[in-house]
Amino acid sequence: MTSNFKSWPITIFLSILSLPIVVMFFYLILDTVTDTTGGSLIPDRLTLEHWRFLFETPATGRASIWKVTANTFIFACTTSATVVATSLTAGYALSRLNMPFRRFFLGGVLTLHAFPTITLIIAIFLMLQMTGLYNTLAGVILVKTALELPLGIWIMKGFYDTVPWEIEMAGLADGASRFTVWRKLVLPQVHPGMAALGLFSFLAAWSEFILPQVLAPDGASQVLATYMQNLIKDDVQPDFNMFKSVGLFYALPVLIIYLIFNQKLMNIYGGGSKG
Amino acid sequence: MRRAHLLGLGFMAPALLITGLFFLAPVILTAVFSFTSMSSGTGISGGAYSVSEQTIRELPERGFPQETADLLAKDVYRIDEAGLSDLSANFGEPFSKQVRKALSGKVFDGRKALVTEMKKLRERPRSVRQLKISADLFKRSILNIRFDSKAALLASVSDIGISLDASQQTILAETSYTGWSWTTDNYKLISSMPSAFRAAGNTFIYVTLTLSVSIGLGLLLALATFYLPKGQAAAFRAIWILPRILPPVIYVMMWKWLTWDTGFLSNFLLNFGITPRNWMLHSDINAWVCIVLINGFVGASLGMILFSSAMRAIPASMLHASEVDGANRRQQIWHIILPQLRWPILFTTAYSTLSLIASFDYIYLSTDGGPGRSTEVWALYAFHTALNNYGGALQYGLGAALALMLVIIGIGASLFYLRIFNFNELVAKPRIEQ
Repeated sequence: MTSNFKSWPITIFLSILSLPIVVMFFYLILDTVTDTTGGSLIPDRLTLEHWRFLFETPATGRASIWKVTANTFIFACTTSATVVATSLTAGYALSRLNMPFRRFFLGGVLTLHAFPTITLIIAIFLMLQMTGLYNTLAGVILVKTALELPLGIWIMKGFYDTVPWEIEMAGLADGASRFTVWRKLVLPQVHPGMAALGLFSFLAAWSEFILPQVLAPDGASQVLATYMQNLIKDDVQPDFNMFKSVGLFYALPVLIIYLIFNQKLMNIYGGGSKG
Repeated sequence: MRRAHLLGLGFMAPALLITGLFFLAPVILTAVFSFTSMSSGTGISGGAYSVSEQTIRELPERGFPQETADLLAKDVYRIDEAGLSDLSANFGEPFSKQVRKALSGKVFDGRKALVTEMKKLRERPRSVRQLKISADLFKRSILNIRFDSKAALLASVSDIGISLDASQQTILAETSYTGWSWTTDNYKLISSMPSAFRAAGNTFIYVTLTLSVSIGLGLLLALATFYLPKGQAAAFRAIWILPRILPPVIYVMMWKWLTWDTGFLSNFLLNFGITPRNWMLHSDINAWVCIVLINGFVGASLGMILFSSAMRAIPASMLHASEVDGANRRQQIWHIILPQLRWPILFTTAYSTLSLIASFDYIYLSTDGGPGRSTEVWALYAFHTALNNYGGALQYGLGAALALMLVIIGIGASLFYLRIFNFNELVAKPRIEQ
């Protein structure tokens, strides 16, 4: 746009507003490799001491960070894979196939998409206790998958909607079945959607805190989110430099994925507006 | 049914199964649980019968004879098969045989009486201490034993030589039942508890303030990054995406550090002679400012993304035309951009309201409802009651009743949104009819 307008007041105003985030993020990175004497804002020496959690297990009977990271990775990958697989078929059915109750299913997906799922946590907690899935990673994965699913189906339906009908009609004219048409002709068209949804649900699971905290609080199935929260909670005299190192370690995959796939992920926010 | 139908239903099946299990079932169960007295005290499976000291105290208040209640609490010594085989294992076969011959089937109401009888036997242990230990093998009490059924409880009661009539049996069974039962007390409790009203009020304040911050700030950021030079816009966008993408635990940890009494704010203000304090929990107002900013920034982050993408969809020709006509920025925003953003804003507001009402993770991580209960919103209140109560038993039933309110609001609102956001447009019929 042309400049019939002074932009510097806006820049200054936004800069002041952004200050807390900039300060927090700057020190999140800085404090992991420096030490600061109490009462000062400027660090006085470089150190790698805050990263020692990577190599030694804390004496307080906490799990090793690598075990916890592996748990988190399993949790995020399995959730993401299940969400994508289920959304791929359900999204196609809702977008393209004639079936009984189609309107009802679509309405259901939309309603669930808006519905604040976290309100169900008490009932889910009791359900898992009754079925013996409480305190297992499998239970948390199932629940997280279910909660991500309405968004996933909705997003995939959106991607299928953009595939031209002509592709399918041509396939059918050549004598292929609907299933073959889906697998051979339509699926390749929605690969970008699959990738975006996969990344998105991976990140959603990676960042999830409440579900693992409530449904699998035990040491063996701990994920990074609960590991970190316990670290913060247990400490009487908080060592923020160490928290920040663990935090940066935990946030790194998220930041990297966003740096690389920024545009892909933003597409999903357009469809999934849940706060 | 046509083949496409079967394929469609088959394709839907996994999704239907998962949603049925983890949406439909929990919604129904929340309602069911809300009418029970389930807690961590009663357990969630069926209950058991157990007579405790508490039960003994309660019994007379319910019309149970005092003497009989006292009898229930007493230890009796009964010579039975179980005790005899324990005795032969610990003190040898001969002694056990003698006890069986002399005392089998007898009941003593104190150890002293039994020991006196035992002293008459030849094969008894020599030391009195050993004798007492051997007598204790016959101690029978129903106190603090879990019985799986009413019948088992009553059988044990008659086993120790107490006979009860039918009404006494009923009273005993009811008083000693430890499991959960059906009740509407949860709802009575909610409507009479001041803390519930407070939580409802807090929720209202929280949603209103946070929503204003997130929509206002989100809009401002979207507009600013739209007009600012490319480099600046990209920088602000990168900064403001952080609250949304950082995992909540880290994001809140950073706020905690900022406001901690050894953190940034305290150290910074020390230069101006202000005493360090925990700025997040120092007072109610502080806590409120913190949770509104913490949540508001996350909302603004999302708002910026959504509004920006909606603004990119506005045809550039409209903006160019307005500039040719001499419109300034304010007029451009007011007359062209905002009217085009009406639906995205409404949409985001509607969805954020609902998710703000129900979500509590950022508050839980930051103030946890404190100081005191000043920032405890309804969702967090339900969570504390059912799943995270430091003070006492976890009250699943009461928590479910609290959550059910939110579930009802959630379902009602999402159905309403479905209606206003033009559902029919979204369900165009498939074009291949086979």
